[in-house]
Amino acid sequence: MFSRALRSPLGAVSAVVIAIVVVVAIFGPVLAPYDPLKQDVAHLLAAPSAAHWLGTDYLGRDVLSRLLAGAPLSLLSAAEVVAIGMLLGVIPGLLSVYLGRVFEWVSLRVVDALITLPFLVFAIATTALLGNSLGPAMLVVGVLIAPGFFRVTRTAALAAATAPYVEAAQLVGASPWWVLRTHLLGKVAPAVAVSAASALGAALVIVSSLTFLGIGVQPPAPTWGGMLSDDLGYLFQQSYEPVFPAVLIIVTVGAFNGLADALRDASGTEARARSAGRRSRIIATKESSRVPA
Amino acid sequence: MTTLTSPGFIGQLTASRSRRRFVRGLKGATSWALRMLAIVVPVFLFATFVTYSLGAISGHSPAALKLGDSATPQAVAALNAQYGLDKPLGARYLDWLGALLHGDLGTSWFNGLPIAPQLVERLGISLSIAGFALVIGVTGGFALGLLATVKRGTLIDRLVTGFASLIATIPPFVASIGLILVFCVTLRWLPSAGYVSPTVNFGQWLTLITLPAIALSLDTVAEIARQLRAGLVSAYDENYVTGAVVRGFSDRRVLFSHVLRNGSGPAIAVIGMRAPALLGGAVVTESIFGMEGFGRFGSESALRGDVPTVQAVLVVGIVLVLAFNLLVNGLLTRLVPASRRGI
Repeated sequence: MFSRALRSPLGAVSAVVIAIVVVVAIFGPVLAPYDPLKQDVAHLLAAPSAAHWLGTDYLGRDVLSRLLAGAPLSLLSAAEVVAIGMLLGVIPGLLSVYLGRVFEWVSLRVVDALITLPFLVFAIATTALLGNSLGPAMLVVGVLIAPGFFRVTRTAALAAATAPYVEAAQLVGASPWWVLRTHLLGKVAPAVAVSAASALGAALVIVSSLTFLGIGVQPPAPTWGGMLSDDLGYLFQQSYEPVFPAVLIIVTVGAFNGLADALRDASGTEARARSAGRRSRIIATKESSRVPA
Repeated sequence: MTTLTSPGFIGQLTASRSRRRFVRGLKGATSWALRMLAIVVPVFLFATFVTYSLGAISGHSPAALKLGDSATPQAVAALNAQYGLDKPLGARYLDWLGALLHGDLGTSWFNGLPIAPQLVERLGISLSIAGFALVIGVTGGFALGLLATVKRGTLIDRLVTGFASLIATIPPFVASIGLILVFCVTLRWLPSAGYVSPTVNFGQWLTLITLPAIALSLDTVAEIARQLRAGLVSAYDENYVTGAVVRGFSDRRVLFSHVLRNGSGPAIAVIGMRAPALLGGAVVTESIFGMEGFGRFGSESALRGDVPTVQAVLVVGIVLVLAFNLLVNGLLTRLVPASRRGI
């Protein structure tokens, strides 16, 4: 599925962009030409030049260095959020198909309740209440995106679990573990991969929004969202400054969305992945019912 | 024979038929309401419990806010007893929930004032922005989705799809900064910060909320356009559309009375799902455009450790989202008869 997705032009371009971003995230702090925290009061808000390729910010800090140094924090936290969401979404999603009606009902209501929370406000409030650091923030956001993974997993697993060949396998005495490994994994994994790719993009936006608002990080540490919010105060003096972090965020998010689309086309899970996302949660209480459209 | 064709009989027949339809409709509505209740009540209880225990887990107390570092243990205990914090979590939750159902949101630990009036004032700002963003999202999304469907397979279709993918990747805070750069810094058409109530100056209110609402709506526009196009294009493949075309109905009639009604379900469901994101996302645009909205109230209270205010903010958000979802769900049931089956 991955190799097929990479052969499509969209998938190839997205993968290259993501690869570059990952390399930057790993080696960014080493590549940075200056100390991202070093202030140079002689060159405040300087225009791009040979010495400072992307100029300097309001404290005379090198913008390129700050972008590079901020990359690991922004990307790693997005990846961490998705990993938590996947863990907390996929496993209950699979179990809800197998563990009987009580677990099913409870897990569906919990997921419904989580979706009802006004996302960003809840994440901000929780992070601020639990001590303003990135650890709790990632955990909370991870829990809040878990319902997406739950839905996708459950929909794919339900479709597979009720298929005649799975029932036949169970009739001849296949254990649930065997059914899970041989029949379900192949059906569930592509749908989860598609959601994980688009969730990475969404998580990057959320992490950037939080750092933009100063939630979860302390000021001098460079983050993409935090740089944008610094630039906001100097729009009238230096109006193109926000372009650099903004373009970085948009390009990275776009690449993850592109990868998700390419994966979806390659795996043919379009109907499954979409149907999980499209129905309002109140209608989605019985996934086994007819999928609209 | 004569009695059968007399107007009296026909009248009776249609009357009893319409009465039967009415009774059936009433039954349908009641069972719909009961089913919704069975879903909404547990969801509400669980969401509020999560919200309530959050405050308890955080370990904040009014003593830290009111008494400072030099407080004696006795004073802290007395204050905790005054706020009912010496009771177990379950009992406190039930007290809080009971007060909530009577419309009492509690008092702030920070300024000792009742929370409800403070919240209502700020809610107006957020609802203005989120509501206007929803209006833009629905109009823009439906316009783009319809355009792409009517011109499906052409360059315009691909342009619309590409545009939707592009604006879906722009986070609201980036869009806000872009809009400020274009309309406030370069063109100087619109103000970049502040808020005026619509009852004071409607025109100014509209100009102030326009930019934040546009910034907030981009995601919704893209999602509705995409889902509407997907839903409508697949509705065009249905047999009843082929039937309608074969009968010689005009393109317009096929689109509006056959395709749109049956194919818009997914797009309308998206409207319901976007509600929490719009209400929650308003916090970012509010802080960029310098408005003292509901989300900012919540985040500032949280940073101060004012637990009851945070809980009140979140509960009001949950109630709004649930109410909006019920509305959308009711609309969906009326609009797409098939979705009533098997919900």
